[in-house]
Amino acid sequence: MIIPLLILTPLVLLAALGAVWKARPVHAALLLALSLALVAVLYLTIGADFIGLVQFMVYVGAVAILIVFSLLITRPGDEAEEIQRRPRSMVTGLICTLPVLAVLLIALVKGNPESAPAVDAPPLSIAHLGELLFTTHAPAVLAVGVLLTAVMIGAALFARDTEKPKSNQPEK
Amino acid sequence: MNPLALLLTLSSLLFSLGLLAVLTRRNAILILVGIELMLNAANINFIAFWRYGPPDPELTGPMFVLFSIAIAAAEAAVGLAIILMVFRHTRSTDLNRLDSLHG
Amino acid sequence: MIFATVPFPSFTLESLPQLPKLLVEWLLMLVGAPDWLVSIGGTAAMAGTVVGVFLSAFALLSLVERKTLARIQNRLGPNRAGWFGILQPVADGIKMLTKEDIVPTKAEWLLHLAAPILIVVPSILALGVMPLGREWVPVNMELGLLFFFSVGALTELSVFMAGWASGSKFPMLGAMRAISQMVSYELPLIISALGVIMVTGSLRLSDIVVHQGDFYFGFIPKWNLFTPWGFAAGLIFYIASIAEANRCPFDLPEGESEIVAGHMTEYSGFKYALFFMGEYLGLFAIAGLGVTLFLGGWQAPLPFLGWVPTWIWFFAKLAVIIMSYLWIRGTFPRVRIDQLMRFAWLCLIPMALLTIPAAALWVFTGKGIVSWVVTVPLLLIPWVILTILFNKRLAPATRTYTFADS
Repeated sequence: MIIPLLILTPLVLLAALGAVWKARPVHAALLLALSLALVAVLYLTIGADFIGLVQFMVYVGAVAILIVFSLLITRPGDEAEEIQRRPRSMVTGLICTLPVLAVLLIALVKGNPESAPAVDAPPLSIAHLGELLFTTHAPAVLAVGVLLTAVMIGAALFARDTEKPKSNQPEK
Repeated sequence: MNPLALLLTLSSLLFSLGLLAVLTRRNAILILVGIELMLNAANINFIAFWRYGPPDPELTGPMFVLFSIAIAAAEAAVGLAIILMVFRHTRSTDLNRLDSLHG
Repeated sequence: MIFATVPFPSFTLESLPQLPKLLVEWLLMLVGAPDWLVSIGGTAAMAGTVVGVFLSAFALLSLVERKTLARIQNRLGPNRAGWFGILQPVADGIKMLTKEDIVPTKAEWLLHLAAPILIVVPSILALGVMPLGREWVPVNMELGLLFFFSVGALTELSVFMAGWASGSKFPMLGAMRAISQMVSYELPLIISALGVIMVTGSLRLSDIVVHQGDFYFGFIPKWNLFTPWGFAAGLIFYIASIAEANRCPFDLPEGESEIVAGHMTEYSGFKYALFFMGEYLGLFAIAGLGVTLFLGGWQAPLPFLGWVPTWIWFFAKLAVIIMSYLWIRGTFPRVRIDQLMRFAWLCLIPMALLTIPAAALWVFTGKGIVSWVVTVPLLLIPWVILTILFNKRLAPATRTYTFADS
């Protein structure tokens, strides 16, 4: 069980590191997609099949596509500038990030997950998940539905061309 | 090292990487990349505790992750719509240049 | 005697496609291989059978398509290589393999190389969960349908990679067109499949097929297509699947009169052949899914035809669907991009959303006469209203040609 995880974990981290480090925006977005796809594979290996497939579908199929598409539309500037100012921004970034990482790791060591008893959860049953989703969590499902509808309408309104639409017809 | 500790370490590192991306990037779209990494780090924690933690017949972990994924997708859509709107006005997604309200 | 210890497993016409798997397993057991090797060998043989069958179907289709289109356009089509041009796919293959592989200097070679591979892989994976016959289900996954759509999501990213990594104008434009089209048409595709999931109560594709097994009045098959919601959903699925497969009249991403070959412009040789292959395998996958969801998969269309091996029915239905695609390609003109998007968002998606309550009512009212009375108006009235609206107000402005008209 541990061996596939030991292989996948560094791969996820490497891809994420690339997503953070790569100066060219499209590379960063594609590496993000790779990293999230590997997280989906990780879910599949530890038995959360449904979550893994949903993760793959939403992140690789929707979020990554959205990100690369907006990168194409906005045509971000050249990466030379980014590389030139990188040392400074990296120093400030690391000054803020390393304490957070330290706190997380200290909490992890103190929490001592090594001592946790080895329990094996039963595999994720879709029937059970669906039943819970539409009984216990029904209000939450409805709320998410309302949220997604609002998002769809809102995004369409935001993205609509505010200028007058140009008609196909030539001027008379 | 047991799987739980491994996954928790992965999640901490992933979260820090996401934070680093948010802090160092200037392109608004790439900041969204960092936010997605941080959200995923949280999701890994939920799945890890569901799988290797105490038995959980209510499936709280996977359930939370499902909702988290739905909301992450919504957030990406709205975020990018806003960024495109800003881009249309200023012809730039560089956050350092969006300072027209700066006194 | 070691040969006597492992009898060859019996098989019938029904399990004929299992023959390679049984053969490999038998041979491995004969030489005394360990159990894990036997199971790996069997799985590999099974996967090899599926890939082999669909690759030969791809070769056949590439010829049949050219022949059919030629017939529609009153031409002869390829007829030089072999008897009636039967060796044309072989000649094409040799030509593709021996061509020079050109990578533009501005291209990013890694992404340029990865894109065609990432287009073929998801199609093959998606074909792997398809129930091709009663006993021929390569991977019988519990989450088969979700898996199908998940791996299908990879196609869009690889199209983007192909367009972007080529470092040239036409691939980029083609990729942007392709992605916006695929994202828009994936919504009605998935939503129209939801009704089937609700009625069946399972994401396992073989369960969906088994659920459509019976007959009304002893001769009308109980396929999902022959229910009000299933007919609407099937029609939407059919239209959306043509768009997903990038075929005419929705072949804007590679409309050769506008943007050369879209995202494939800068590819040549074997990589171009891979794109071609990925496109056709994706076509088989999406048409096969349509057959599975709405046309009863491997079920026989009439009760007295039950003796025919089930996989023959699957492939017969697949052939009918694909021939209808060819017919459409030969007869319809290409739509414009604004018409394409408007049609998806204003017509297909609302109608697809309506099939979900219709399917719910269908189950709730007991699948009888009452269900017909309730669900038919629910689908028909909005459809009529949408059609009128679409023709009057929402229809894209008709183009007036300044010089040609006068």
